[in-house]
Amino acid sequence: MNRVIKVARMQLINKGTFIGIPLIILGASFLFTMAIWWLVRRNGGDGAMYSGGAQAPMWYFLALGIQSLTLTFPFSMAMSISRRTFYLGTVALFSVCALALSVFYYLMGLLEVATDGWGMGGQFFALQWIADNNWLVQILFYFVLMVLLFMIGFLAATIYMRWRTTGMVAFFICLGVLVLGIIALITLTNSWGEFWSWALTWTAAGVTLWGGIVALLMAGGSYLTLRKATA
Amino acid sequence: MIDDSKPIFMQIAELIENDIISGVLAEEAQVPSTNEFAAFYRINPATAAKGINRLVEDGLLYKKRGIGMFVTEGAPQRLRAQRREKFQQQFIAPLTAEASKLGIGVDELVAMIKTGSES
Amino acid sequence: MPRTTAIATRELSKTYKDVKALDNVTLDLEPDRIYGLLGRNGAGKTTLMSILTGQNYADHGTAEIFGHAPFEHDPTLSRICFIRESQKYPDDFKVHQAFESAALFFENWDEDLAQELVEAFALPINRRIKKLSRGQLSAVGVIIGMASRADITFFDEPYLGLDAVARQIFYDRLVEDFAEYPRTIVLSSHLIDEVANLLEHVIVIDKGQIVIDSDAEELRGTAVTVTGDAAKVQEFIGAAQVLHRDALGALASVTIKAKLDADQREQAKLMGLDLSPVSLQQLVVRSALSGTTAQRTEERTEARK
Repeated sequence: MNRVIKVARMQLINKGTFIGIPLIILGASFLFTMAIWWLVRRNGGDGAMYSGGAQAPMWYFLALGIQSLTLTFPFSMAMSISRRTFYLGTVALFSVCALALSVFYYLMGLLEVATDGWGMGGQFFALQWIADNNWLVQILFYFVLMVLLFMIGFLAATIYMRWRTTGMVAFFICLGVLVLGIIALITLTNSWGEFWSWALTWTAAGVTLWGGIVALLMAGGSYLTLRKATA
Repeated sequence: MIDDSKPIFMQIAELIENDIISGVLAEEAQVPSTNEFAAFYRINPATAAKGINRLVEDGLLYKKRGIGMFVTEGAPQRLRAQRREKFQQQFIAPLTAEASKLGIGVDELVAMIKTGSES
Repeated sequence: MPRTTAIATRELSKTYKDVKALDNVTLDLEPDRIYGLLGRNGAGKTTLMSILTGQNYADHGTAEIFGHAPFEHDPTLSRICFIRESQKYPDDFKVHQAFESAALFFENWDEDLAQELVEAFALPINRRIKKLSRGQLSAVGVIIGMASRADITFFDEPYLGLDAVARQIFYDRLVEDFAEYPRTIVLSSHLIDEVANLLEHVIVIDKGQIVIDSDAEELRGTAVTVTGDAAKVQEFIGAAQVLHRDALGALASVTIKAKLDADQREQAKLMGLDLSPVSLQQLVVRSALSGTTAQRTEERTEARK
């Protein structure tokens, strides 16, 4: 059997990590939202209701990106797996999981619309801004978002593995300088108003495209970094 | 059992020789395999093989293909003869040297050995 | 057909910041033998093994496993097993999950052997690895190393935290299994006496340099300790290479590198000198330290005057 697939199987030995926990988080977040909506309606609240609960598992993917590297990479070295094989197996597994979950989001979105927001007029999966697009954009949007968060964790952990604390400090200083630089630029040029009106023109398709590019860059960066990392 | 004074393979060879002389391993009896020796004495199998091969080269053991290793007929007698030769230089020479240093004559020495072996 | 060398390194060097972990290491290891990689903590043993298994890389020189550089080369890596002394396992892994994983990657994995060893070491396989004692953690590494039956298996200080009984189980099973399935085994250790008899070949590393690379049997009996009246000891040893020297008043105990014949032994006896064998452990310690120790002894002698 191909060693890349074996890596995926190794990551799946503990089924909870890649499959169970995200589903539990999503389920819990969904039920919690339902309960709140029900309370709101019971107390006579009306109008559309939105929930950001669907993004809960995505934040877990940030942690999963870190964890699947820091914990499993040193072990994979002991299993005599090359860094390339470890990388391909892990990223491929996550991609498959993320794609499956994205399709699930899309299908749940359809169900949500069909049941008139679970009978309560709520929007959990089918947020208007996303649900207005065609099926491919919807699925890709979720997928790219998940991969992006996973990759942030994965890249940070890879940098730690390769350059340890020095690398982490440098990474976060660069990130901080970048964010502060953008904020400073907008503030100093008095362009916050323009910024927000620009942000409002973003479309789900546009976000997907740019997010996908950033995710790809990070995937390439973490691959190159990992190639000379030591356990 | 095994010490650091000389190579282990020599010690293994000597241990088997002793068993042949004392009759623990009779003529034509099968001797344990290299791996059994290695496991028993907790030594490297290659080292055990080296010790046994020495005895095969000396003609004290012989191999039967696919069955194992056996004690050659006449091996105990040959070993005893070898050991007798060594006995002279190993024990008698230092004994007489020490005796003459202490002024013990040959007759007195013989008498001492006699009383020694009686008790 | 010439046998391919299992492991070959040429002028391997590795520096961590200002520490030379490996300094010009050139070695050839033959297949199907048990090697001892001996040396003090921090001598460079783990660094060497990490490079040989592609877990790390050298600054200079080359390392080849069965004729191929191991770094990022899966076909070569799949023939190697190296569980570090400080091996990390996924946080949520239970003991049996580590074995399941090993069974995936090591083609020669022997599940029966693994089960036998689990029982022999009384290892709780449903416990999280994080919660194991040091000895149990070592046992996990030992079991993966043994049951993997990899063409080249490295054991990195495998006995840490194991009690005497468990260590003996390890040594016994290693000899047994090796006899049945010969393969190249590299046993890294600083407890030399325990493993001395298992080794066919001994490599001693000190401060990143190879100081001994010799057949174990050839090493045995190459040194002897002479004890007795200091003047007589000196007269007896003559110009032989001194590995270690201890003095107590007029009494001296000197370890020299020499193979004594029967006549010399006889002469020592006549001079009233005691001869005692030198264990592999002593030999290694003396060889590794001979430079510094000799110097220190001289200083001590100077101070006394």
